[in-house]
Amino acid sequence: MTNYKSLTKTFLFSALIALSISFSNNAVAQDGKALFNSNCAACHKLDKDMTGPALQGTLERWNNDRQKLHAWIKNPMAFLKTGDKYANDLFIKWNKIPMSPFDGALKDAEIDAILDYIAKGVQPAATGGDGKTAAAGQKAESDNTLLYGILTVVLAIVALILINVNKNLKRITEEQPEGYKGVAFWKNKTNITVAILALFIVGGYLTTKGAIGLGRNQNYQPTQPIYYSHKVHAGVNQINCLYCHGGAEEGKHANIPSVNVCMNCHKAIHEYTGPALTDADGKEVNGTEEIQKLFKYAGFNPQDANSWSADKAKPIQWVQIHSLPDHVYFNHSQHVAVGKVQCQTCHGEIEKMDEVKQFSDLSMGWCVNCHRETKVQFKDNGFYSIYEKYHNELKSGKIDSTKGITVEKIGGTECQKCHY
Amino acid sequence: MVSCSSINRNPKDAYIPDMAHSRAYETYSDHSNLTKKGINYTALPVQGTIARNEEFPFPLSHDAVGDTTNYFLSRSIKNPIDTMTAHEMAEAERMYLIQCGICHGKNLDGNGPLWKDGSGPYPAAPKNLKTLHMPDGQMFYSITYGKGQMGSYASQLNRKQRWQVINYIKEQQKK
Repeated sequence: MTNYKSLTKTFLFSALIALSISFSNNAVAQDGKALFNSNCAACHKLDKDMTGPALQGTLERWNNDRQKLHAWIKNPMAFLKTGDKYANDLFIKWNKIPMSPFDGALKDAEIDAILDYIAKGVQPAATGGDGKTAAAGQKAESDNTLLYGILTVVLAIVALILINVNKNLKRITEEQPEGYKGVAFWKNKTNITVAILALFIVGGYLTTKGAIGLGRNQNYQPTQPIYYSHKVHAGVNQINCLYCHGGAEEGKHANIPSVNVCMNCHKAIHEYTGPALTDADGKEVNGTEEIQKLFKYAGFNPQDANSWSADKAKPIQWVQIHSLPDHVYFNHSQHVAVGKVQCQTCHGEIEKMDEVKQFSDLSMGWCVNCHRETKVQFKDNGFYSIYEKYHNELKSGKIDSTKGITVEKIGGTECQKCHY
Repeated sequence: MVSCSSINRNPKDAYIPDMAHSRAYETYSDHSNLTKKGINYTALPVQGTIARNEEFPFPLSHDAVGDTTNYFLSRSIKNPIDTMTAHEMAEAERMYLIQCGICHGKNLDGNGPLWKDGSGPYPAAPKNLKTLHMPDGQMFYSITYGKGQMGSYASQLNRKQRWQVINYIKEQQKK
């Protein structure tokens, strides 16, 4: 019987799926998560409406009809034409903003993996596990509360143990003369010593920690005159850091771009259409309004774009975040052009920050550590070739070794040696 | 000692601030009313000075809105850099990828990340440089003063770099 056959087939198939899910649960789920993050996460979250609706419970809402869902994901506009009520209602509810079609971009198996991932839904422990432990680790470093808390607990335990030891010792040496009541707890010399020592250690630790922290601004994240998201510009839209901060490879300062550089693109881009933005406090930010602020500084009228010129612009007073004390000389080009240090090494993952915050503490120890570990590129390095040449010429006697190499020979009479 | 929020909106205090803050006017300090304070300062270079790598003359000024005289005159200006070493070419490519590729694409096909076949945030399709037939001088004019939706890149590429990038584009067109 065909009916029987197809039934067994379905049964076998679903059993296989169930088996594969239960056995390779991790692999499939991870696959789905990665796929979800790279294809869907820009507009969808599992538990929250974003550009598109929250996806948790999608399968239930679609009556577990994966076939329909596949068609919908692959080509939403075509699926709408089939007249499906739920899809059409959804489309109208979301202001008729169509989802981009994934036909060709996602295979059937991949869509299923994503759907499985969505079906699993938000697992507080699992979702928290990724980001929050790392964040907590960082917090422990910057926020001393935890550290002090641990310290307090440890000291409390030590105190308890000491009290117990004291009690036990007392019991052992109970054979005291009649009428002797022992020394009061707060008069006990051991107790006084321990208390003073503890106070000294905690106080000293706090004082030192506070003093070292003076003038250090790790995690400083000021509110800027315009909410400018590095994540949107350097991350999503892949604009090179040097497009705006070209000074980084040419001179001491990386430079804050002047308004004309912003207007290179924003003369045409008047609206923000990407995923919703929030500031560090969790407040929602209207990207288009922020672009309007830029236009105000630029003296730009979107209705009359062609008559705009850069000399109508007024500088934007950005708040400086990374700042070294005056007694430190730091040169960007030395690090970027010569040392080939990536921007992210010192500034953190700027391309993932909406609002920039200071990533490293910019302390002397931090600088020195990097200088201790970074290797100098000697090979194919024009700077050292001249030393090598003189070294060889001295060795071969071409240069009189009694006279040696003068400072002039290694650039000592260049104007900039003194007049810079 | 314990802050209420983990977001540091204000800078911390400095120890001996005299050593932390420069008394001299530095790059990011407020230059807006120095004349009022009796300090002689001009943000512009001294008249007649030429910055390094800006030494290639370009006699044409920017056309007024609605005028195209100089834009067409620029066709006759020759590229002063006719040969480039492999190293210079690689550098020109790097500059192209930083400054131009974002719109015109790394393959010069007018499909950079900002356009992305029309799905990027940039609303206008950038020119396909692979098939663009334009004399060097006119390209230089366009890069220097901007053309259409494209802005001026004079502040991002010096004259030498601009001519080199034009050479790079022409070289890629031959491929």
